[in-house]
Amino acid sequence: MRPRLHDYALSASCYKVRLLAALLDTRLDVVAVDFHPGREHKTASFLTLNPAGTLPVLEADGTVMTDTADMLRWLARTHDAVWLGDGTRVQPWLDMAIRLNESLGMARLHDMLHADCDIGTARKAGVADLRRIEAHLWARRQDGEIFLAGPRATIADIACFPNVALAPDGGVNLDPYPSIRLWMRAVRSLPRFVEMPGIHRLHELSPVPDYAAASQA
Amino acid sequence: MIEGWTALALSADLPPGVAVPGRLRGEDLVIWRSASGRLRAWGDRCPHRGMRLSHGFVRGETLACIYHGWTYDGTGACTLIPAHPDLEPPKSIRTQGYDCREAAGVIFAAAEGTGAALPDPGSLAPVRSLQMEGTTDAVARAAGMGTLADGMVRGTVDLDGAVAVALFLQTSGAGMTTVHALADRAPLAVSDWLERIREIVEG
Amino acid sequence: MITEANLSAWYPVGMAAAVGPAPGRATRLLGRAIRLFADAGTVRVTDDAGHELSVCTAYGHVWACPGTPAGPVFALPEADQPGRRLVDCGRVQVRCSALRAVENFLDIAHFPFIHAGILGAEPHTEVNRYEVAIREEVDEVWATKVSFYQPQAARSATGGVDVEYMYRVAAPTSAVLYKTSPPRPGEWDVIAIFVQPLDETTCDCWPWMALYDDDTPLAELIQFQQTIFLQDRSILENQIPALLPLDPGMETPTRADLTSIAYRRWLKRRGLTYGAQAVAA
Repeated sequence: MRPRLHDYALSASCYKVRLLAALLDTRLDVVAVDFHPGREHKTASFLTLNPAGTLPVLEADGTVMTDTADMLRWLARTHDAVWLGDGTRVQPWLDMAIRLNESLGMARLHDMLHADCDIGTARKAGVADLRRIEAHLWARRQDGEIFLAGPRATIADIACFPNVALAPDGGVNLDPYPSIRLWMRAVRSLPRFVEMPGIHRLHELSPVPDYAAASQA
Repeated sequence: MIEGWTALALSADLPPGVAVPGRLRGEDLVIWRSASGRLRAWGDRCPHRGMRLSHGFVRGETLACIYHGWTYDGTGACTLIPAHPDLEPPKSIRTQGYDCREAAGVIFAAAEGTGAALPDPGSLAPVRSLQMEGTTDAVARAAGMGTLADGMVRGTVDLDGAVAVALFLQTSGAGMTTVHALADRAPLAVSDWLERIREIVEG
Repeated sequence: MITEANLSAWYPVGMAAAVGPAPGRATRLLGRAIRLFADAGTVRVTDDAGHELSVCTAYGHVWACPGTPAGPVFALPEADQPGRRLVDCGRVQVRCSALRAVENFLDIAHFPFIHAGILGAEPHTEVNRYEVAIREEVDEVWATKVSFYQPQAARSATGGVDVEYMYRVAAPTSAVLYKTSPPRPGEWDVIAIFVQPLDETTCDCWPWMALYDDDTPLAELIQFQQTIFLQDRSILENQIPALLPLDPGMETPTRADLTSIAYRRWLKRRGLTYGAQAVAA
């Protein structure tokens, strides 16, 4: 039986799970939850599944996972453990991912969906988080590495990528971070990368279209 | 009135196939590098519906706007409008050009037709670009490296031994300065030092 | 710049199902603070000075008019057709002029780039000739005989098809699109965007649909539409200038842009300049 993901299409955290599943070339049974405008995640029926009333929720192997990092770890362990990376190098970025939810993630929900938050504090914390990530990625590049926690992509990158890439949705500009820009390109160039609203696919990766063939079709 | 060249990015931060935004004397620019490595700087605005070209995509020797795929070649002329693939786009559809040069691992831009010489930072290696909330004067003061000439300050910093440093200071927004740093050694120490400078500038 | 024409139009200000009792919800319309609340079964909208705005409820939303309404809210008979599902998609705020949001909604040439794999795909980028008219009797802009190849045109579609469209600007900041309905050939699915100008460069967008689709779960219908709309957001927030230019000048339309050309001409003619700049940039 396929794992079942309770999902909201616009959620950065749900996207982390959808993205890793795609990169691992594994299918999930995706169930849409009407987060907005329906607030379905706060209904009695949803709360029996997850009393915390949060998304995503992943049902797999007879368990119900409600922590996004747990879901990423489970997917990696089950399909390709190389994505787990070196635990001591990866863990700080899973911690950063939680801070990003609260800074850049909240700023985005505030600006787009009118969520309640202190927008000034959220954006300021978001800038501090981005500067920390930029400094780290710059240092990694001096050693010839592009990803957060080693020479190849790991769940550290998947956990941090969505909120960083969607920062402009919350009014936080990404222009000042050249190393982050190159890292985002590397993530978006991974085989089987899938996009979400606000993160476009890289059209440069597709060849120039053959318009002559199209007009004959 | 500042004439001449403004540093906008480090070469290492703009590999082939990438487009980035830049800011030159209050104007928004796109700087991009083609597949063959050729650099161009244009106004960051597609003539079609005003979408930022810095969000666009590079294919070969062209940059296309992400909105409708309007494609521009190295001269800035529009060569393809995907909604009308058989149409030869009118010659009047073109991007706004700026001069763009690369030297010492730094990318510079200037108004088209500038005759000024490129600034010379000496034989230093590029280190890092980072943005600070403060004026170029405030940054120069915090760095303790004298007054700006050609958008640059130079000096020696004691970071466990003397390090020769050059900082190109670019106004990158209202009250914002982007520092493009070069040094003769110790890049990690220079990066840490830049972050300390930022803390001083930002109070 | 607000004109009489701007003040006498209808604008969405909330979802009818979500209006609470006083003090209700505070928001803005044309740069002015307003508040909407339910009072003994009716919805009221007041401004900071205590004035009552004209109010009506239609298509799942509360509509307000800051001045004297020029007429009733536009007609949408599909909303009353039996068998249709009426779907409120909730609101999304965008840092752009309401006019830019509407114009983007009317555009199809961006489908293969912004909605790649869903509403369009390279190399099927050609926009075929279509027809545009300003229908004087209802004072609306209409585009008809629009067609475009789409990989996955609706949640109910099973593959790529040539989809037929019609577009309609029903009010200064409200547009409707009609597209061929896969389960009901010969009928149109209706997708609308009702845009509330909060100020000249910020708006709340309220997508709404009236569809023939009995099978797809509600959450999926909503999220399909939200996905499409949110893919446009980073475009809308990065167009320069922010105010929609109503005169030719810095922007270069082509034959694919006939609907937007007509929309801008119609706005200019009617003096609907809020969110626009009337002089070439």
